[in-house]
Amino acid sequence: MTAIAEAVGVTKWYGEVLGLNGFTAFVEPGITGLVGPNGAGKSTLFKLLIGQLRASGGELRLLGEDPWNNVGLKRRIGYCPESNQLYGWLTAQRFVELLLKLDGIGAAEAQKAAEESLAFVGLTAAKDRPLRTYSRGMRQRAKLAQALAHGPELLILDEPLSGADPMARVQILRAISEFANRGGHVIMSTHVLYEVERITSNIVLIHNGKAIASGNLHAIRALIDEHPHAVRLVTSQPRELAQALAAWDHVVSVEFVDAGTLLVRTRKPDAFYRDLPGVVVDRNLDVRGVESPDDSLDAVFRYLVG
Amino acid sequence: MDAGAALRKGWVVTALTVRYLVSTRRGIVTLALSWLPLLLTGALALARVASFDILLFQQLMLPLFLQVVLVFVTLVSATALIREEIEDNTLPFLLARPVSKPELAVSKYAGYLIAGLAFLLPPVVVAYGVTEAYAGLGLGADVDVLEGFLAATALGVLAYGALFYFLSVVLRKPLMVGLLIGFVWESVVVALPGDVPKLSLTYYLRSVLGGMISVGPYSGNPGYVSAPVAVLVLGVFSVVMLLLSALTFQQMEFLQKA
Repeated sequence: MTAIAEAVGVTKWYGEVLGLNGFTAFVEPGITGLVGPNGAGKSTLFKLLIGQLRASGGELRLLGEDPWNNVGLKRRIGYCPESNQLYGWLTAQRFVELLLKLDGIGAAEAQKAAEESLAFVGLTAAKDRPLRTYSRGMRQRAKLAQALAHGPELLILDEPLSGADPMARVQILRAISEFANRGGHVIMSTHVLYEVERITSNIVLIHNGKAIASGNLHAIRALIDEHPHAVRLVTSQPRELAQALAAWDHVVSVEFVDAGTLLVRTRKPDAFYRDLPGVVVDRNLDVRGVESPDDSLDAVFRYLVG
Repeated sequence: MDAGAALRKGWVVTALTVRYLVSTRRGIVTLALSWLPLLLTGALALARVASFDILLFQQLMLPLFLQVVLVFVTLVSATALIREEIEDNTLPFLLARPVSKPELAVSKYAGYLIAGLAFLLPPVVVAYGVTEAYAGLGLGADVDVLEGFLAATALGVLAYGALFYFLSVVLRKPLMVGLLIGFVWESVVVALPGDVPKLSLTYYLRSVLGGMISVGPYSGNPGYVSAPVAVLVLGVFSVVMLLLSALTFQQMEFLQKA
């Protein structure tokens, strides 16, 4: 099968600012993680892929087609933007239904497909609540539901785990994996390597608008393991959470940033992300948000690019 | 794709736009402002102003309603159609669907028209009703006045909306330019001699009033064009502005904020 996305020397200028700088990469079928620190060019690439932006130079193909103003191509893709802003007055059910109708799907079918898609991401119980009442994790899942609902071939997910709580992360990653297991393709961006590594080893590393590496990431893992990985946790029980995490031998430090935020540094991010939901559930802790400042990844990129 | 399917998709965007315009705080403020004529006529009736009749109604409605309320409501609503969704980061959800940008642009304008007419036409009818009731007349006594103001309001919604919509597509901050055009240009140009007033939209709205109302400040005024010509000019202007908006929107790139 040919590449899902092909970029050859793609450049994007924002006035005098260079967003992408001769980006070249071939995205294979399956799940691919686009990994890079904030400002690396991930969102610019995604907006080019879905036709929101037009490349200043180079050649870009998505599913074999030029994405700029390509209405037909949009039937084949599901897009999840980075922003968590939604139509707050709509319920999740109505939100997904409306967007499905824009795909030309009839009312009855749209209602059924919206229900199924919201169930797929674990939002059935909250589907009739206005989106403005949703937490960040729930918004991420609602965005994922609208991207999945019309049965696309390819999902393009811009930071789909950003700000999600541990349980929402598990559900989102599970939904993405299931979609891929059914034959779908996924390109997802993140600045947290360990998130995407749980569902794929197919990675494109992007830095300063360029693809600096792609393919299997095991070699780079070793480099990253040398840099303690920082995780910021939002919680109403910082003391209890800190006690639990400090007991793990791979946790290097636990810092109280403010009354409701912990900054944890770990030498084994994969183990940290794997075990965090368990400790939250077992000890009945309240963790509302998990974010990774990209300083540790940035350090690795600086190392890689000299 | 058949026309029916395209219309159904367009209606989804139109309905979403109407909801967007009427449910925001901005929408509530503009709706409240739209009812200014009722406040005015109600105050005149309650104060038992002796000269309050259909002529005074006309003299007040033009400067206050057609040149202030109409301009303000259309400016605020039409400039919000695209810009507000860009600011709110909701536009990517629509752009990611298989709907062409020109279709989106036209459907949004249709939503604006529905909201704008729903905002601005009822207050005209109610204010007219208060005026006639105060004079002890039936609703049909000066129906030409009612028809004239309804037509001028509807055409104003159409034309000003198309103009301000275009501004919102080509400018990042359309409100300031819209205010200058709507309140400075329109007021100054229409007062100048010769053919210069023909460069304002309010000139054609006054022509519509003059052509449709038998007795009033603008009826029979030789300085205006006939009502059919005015309607044609306003209609063509609106279509051209809408087409330019759709074509510009087609080529627009969208940077969303994180």
